[in-house]
Amino acid sequence: MKNKKFLWLFSLLLVVGLFLAACGGKEEGSKTTTDEKEKEETTTPAEEVAADEEQVLNLNMSAEIPTLDSSLVTDAVGFDILNNTNEGLYRLNQENVAVPAISDGEPTISEDGLVYTFKLRDANWSDGSPVTANDFEYAWKRAMNPDTASEYGPYMMSGVIKNATAISEGTVEYTELGVKALDEKTLEVTLEKPIPYFLSLMSFGTFLPLKEEFVTAQGENYAKNSEALLYNGPFTLKGWDGTGLTWQLVKNDQYWDKDTVKLTQINYDVVKETATSVNLYTNGEKDRAGLTGEYAMQYANDPELLTEADTSIFWFKFNQERVGKKSPLANKNIREAISKAFNKDDLASVVLANGSMPANYMIPKDFTFDEDGNDFRDVNGDMSTFNVEEAQAAWEKGLKELGVTELTLEILGGDSDLSKKMDEYLKSQLETNLKGLKITLKEVPFSVRLELDTSQDYDIQVAGWGPDFQDPYTFLSLWETGGGNNQMSYSNPEYDQLLKDINGKLALDPVARWEAMAKAEKIIIEQDFAIAPIYQRGLMFLVKPYVKGVVSHPFGGDYSYKWAYIEGKN
Amino acid sequence: MAKYITRRVIYMFITFFLIATATFFLMKALPGSPISSASKLSPSQLAIVEAKYGLDEPVPVQYGKYMLNLAKGDLGNSFQFKNASVTELIVKRLGPSFILGSQGLILGVTIGIMLGMIAALRQNTIWDYGSTLIAIVGISIPSFVFATFLQYWLGVKWGILPVALWKDGWLSSVMPSIALAMGPLATASRFIRTEMVEVLSSDYITLAKSKGASGFEVAFKHAFRNALIPLVTVLGPLAAGLLTGSLVIEQIFAIPGIGEQFVKSIMSNDYSIIMGTTLFFSAFLIVVIFVVDILYGIIDPRIRLSGGNN
Amino acid sequence: MSQDIQKIPADSFERVHIDSSQAERITKPSLSFWQDAWLRIRKNKAAIVSMFILLFIIIMSFVGPMISPHDAETQTLTHANLPPKVPGLEKLGIMDGYGTLAGKEVDLYELKKVDTYYWFGTDGLGRDMFSRVWKGTQVSLFIAFAAALIDMVIGVAYGGISGYYGGRVDDIMQRIVEILIGIPTLVIVILMILFMEPGVTAIIIAITITGWIGMSRVVRAQVLKYKNQEFVLASRTLGASNGRIISKHILPNILGIIIINTMFTIPGAIFFEAFLSFIGLGLQPPAASLGTLINDGNKVLQFQPHILLYPSLILSLLMIAFNLLGDGLRDALDPKMKD
Repeated sequence: MKNKKFLWLFSLLLVVGLFLAACGGKEEGSKTTTDEKEKEETTTPAEEVAADEEQVLNLNMSAEIPTLDSSLVTDAVGFDILNNTNEGLYRLNQENVAVPAISDGEPTISEDGLVYTFKLRDANWSDGSPVTANDFEYAWKRAMNPDTASEYGPYMMSGVIKNATAISEGTVEYTELGVKALDEKTLEVTLEKPIPYFLSLMSFGTFLPLKEEFVTAQGENYAKNSEALLYNGPFTLKGWDGTGLTWQLVKNDQYWDKDTVKLTQINYDVVKETATSVNLYTNGEKDRAGLTGEYAMQYANDPELLTEADTSIFWFKFNQERVGKKSPLANKNIREAISKAFNKDDLASVVLANGSMPANYMIPKDFTFDEDGNDFRDVNGDMSTFNVEEAQAAWEKGLKELGVTELTLEILGGDSDLSKKMDEYLKSQLETNLKGLKITLKEVPFSVRLELDTSQDYDIQVAGWGPDFQDPYTFLSLWETGGGNNQMSYSNPEYDQLLKDINGKLALDPVARWEAMAKAEKIIIEQDFAIAPIYQRGLMFLVKPYVKGVVSHPFGGDYSYKWAYIEGKN
Repeated sequence: MAKYITRRVIYMFITFFLIATATFFLMKALPGSPISSASKLSPSQLAIVEAKYGLDEPVPVQYGKYMLNLAKGDLGNSFQFKNASVTELIVKRLGPSFILGSQGLILGVTIGIMLGMIAALRQNTIWDYGSTLIAIVGISIPSFVFATFLQYWLGVKWGILPVALWKDGWLSSVMPSIALAMGPLATASRFIRTEMVEVLSSDYITLAKSKGASGFEVAFKHAFRNALIPLVTVLGPLAAGLLTGSLVIEQIFAIPGIGEQFVKSIMSNDYSIIMGTTLFFSAFLIVVIFVVDILYGIIDPRIRLSGGNN
Repeated sequence: MSQDIQKIPADSFERVHIDSSQAERITKPSLSFWQDAWLRIRKNKAAIVSMFILLFIIIMSFVGPMISPHDAETQTLTHANLPPKVPGLEKLGIMDGYGTLAGKEVDLYELKKVDTYYWFGTDGLGRDMFSRVWKGTQVSLFIAFAAALIDMVIGVAYGGISGYYGGRVDDIMQRIVEILIGIPTLVIVILMILFMEPGVTAIIIAITITGWIGMSRVVRAQVLKYKNQEFVLASRTLGASNGRIISKHILPNILGIIIINTMFTIPGAIFFEAFLSFIGLGLQPPAASLGTLINDGNKVLQFQPHILLYPSLILSLLMIAFNLLGDGLRDALDPKMKD
């Protein structure tokens, strides 16, 4: 019997011991790593002789590559890899400006802004054959071909390339798309209407060329693995089996600008757990690791910490009509109250703590610039900022108008740890600052949220948007009356008219267009309180100091490694 | 025996068919759509994409087509991986999951049996308490916490084993297998101890002892054989439990297994992968249960396998 | 020696009469099954200690959130991620509010100008971990007890009927079990949770919907083992009814294994709930359970170990107590181990 008592005491001690070991682990850990570093340093002279700055980068990915068929890609990983293995007419440069790539210099544009004629430079596919104008024509038409069932093809081209809208409605054959190879090296693109941001679209993955001969020869097998693909970008893909968690990018010797490319290889592994990816980084197996808030806090003073502003914005969508019935959020004062009743600064710095910035706007910071290089943000400033008094005043007014003293509203959110934590904070903020408001939280997987969004079965939704091209219009177009992303019964004729003008009569007048877009943003946020911006996403990484020249992009593929190199690793 | 087996095999097919049917309709009832960018498309564009995947047809028609293809051994194409068939995916992902699962199960059950026997044979001694302690600790810590500890200590701090990834051959499988083994270890050792203690106090053991059988002989020939029976009944559920474990463990150690893919498929409504993996695991389980029942008859001659005929 | 015996007077001896009726007399008071069990478990100190620990944890799960000066759901962002600090103990150098920040050991309470005490520290939103841990314990225990009870009732009834009656009944019932066991539990669980309003009820139903199968298989195997044994056959020959055989002969014999199995179901249920929170299908915030707390803590293990420490400690205590109590109960309930 004594022994049994001893047993549970002992097991308790063991459990406590495990934890104490973990607690004490921190300092010991840093010690060991420095020891290891010293050890490495002492052994370096021998290695230096052997390998002089091996140009190899080791990276983690948070998800698999779902597909690399450029007509079918819809996700961040796919676009990221394509951006490094392939090249379209344009490419984002180190300053994130779209510059001619396969296009040999700027295209000639017709006076009405409708016809673009591109001359192609001499560039090769990875099999040694030349990239021709037909490769573009084929690829774009393939993306519109109903048999391909591309999602991004119709999405990116409708309203941009001539006939695209009609093709996706089934009234015109896909072969009638406004793109034509005049000869081997000349491509003519006809637009539906003048598009001021058209050239920035040309760096997007959906507009990449495809070699017809190769695609048809591969047939069913096309894009099944890294051997069933052709590359015309800085790198070629190796060792990808179609669904695997590992693959490599290898320098492409056929790339026209191969002298710029310094890296010989990039090794990728899919690691979904932050803890694991940080451990691999600490161990020296990986050169970069993404951090969540908890980790970011601990590495706050680490010289290897890197914060990147992302261009995704997250907001509350106020559903004014829930499943056909008018909701309390149809009241503007209620929307205003909720918009102003939560502390965004604390949310960004303490709750998210991952480099995100509080957003009092819809068009992200550091994203679009006018002709003089002024940030759109500097033009339009902050709107609907955190203000408890104003929120409460609007709240009282709204409740009076509705004839109630309390309201219960549901917040629909994502199921990631971060969004759960954020929703908890928002709930507590709103309930504290607005008397009589009760918030229930509903956190579901993305596909379910999408369905609830489509059927408008929610009150308030935490949603976000990342831009598809470099123009405020990518955000503004979301709230068009009856638009596919509206899904909250928001409708303002003035706003709709502005949208029409922005891509219509003002298309060739950048100054007036800029003003119209600024006005539209004001209407959405400050006048109608249709949405309440929450934050602009930031990303935090640990990056080894010897990794240089990696360029991160605000849209399309996340990174370019074309200019990256390793220096000082040894 | 042959008659029994034939009958069981027929039942297995019926079971499999019922599971396939049930899963299909349950899955279709899940909210959400497998088309990830649905909100970006206009209704006519969406209709084109849905038609391509056969999602525009009524559910019973989809069911009929699916079952016909299944009979031909075709599990369809994945929605997430646009260029991969489900069969390919399962075949590619099977290896690592199988290695981890079997290693974890064998390791856990073997050590569990040993600990359980030691505990039973040396009842109420320090050996007994020691093995009980290990079993309790094994079930006191969730496998994902245990895996995190292993990774941090064995991988990062001591550098004995690879932190994660499936690159260093067998070494890569050691930590995940240990993490997976904790559950089976605890279950096995507790069951064996309980059973052995009971068996050891039964009359025929006393008889065997009085006839002069050695301690070793009593332990293995008489007690162990009888103690194994209840363990065999939990082997099926244990194997199924490893699936649950593998979801977590494979994700933490970044192992390209099936489990790692399963949750993601459900979350993104990837119907064909959900169906494919569910059916695969079901088939596996049905076979395991079948084998267990046969084993049961071999180990314990008192159970007759004639089933419904008495 | 022998001479000494002869010297003893004969009248020192009294003749004993053997009364054959006395042999049947019951000298000890008659005890019911449970009284007997209680008598024996009382001698098992480990089981008694475990019982008190369990009782303490159960009481604390209700009282804990009340005695803490801080509410479980109040967020004080300026107090986020504070390590534990307990008056009195702080002078001993443990639980003194020191923690690591960016690799340095500092008094975080002083740094953040906090003059109150958080006994178990705070989480990332500045909520009191003490209240949250006990609230979570309450939720976890509720889920576990409810799930274990439902599992036990269904499992024992199903396995018992199936094993005892055998034949066609057994065959049909086992086919049903095979179908159920063949569907990976996760599919059902996710379905349930996506169908129903997410929450405690959904999780309990999800755990029990296939959870009872394990119990039923074990019970069936045990019933099969006992129903053909000699003492059952003897009883049957003597004309005992099925009810009597089950309640007097089979049930007492398999009670041990039912209890152990239940003792494993409880941690199993708590764990499954933790697993659900790991894959993002657990309780909806702000509700917390030991599972969600451990999952949250696991992510910050290297930096804020206290967030993992306390819920894990309570979970481990629960496990150890349940196991030792289970052991004790089994020893006490097993009729073959009567002393």
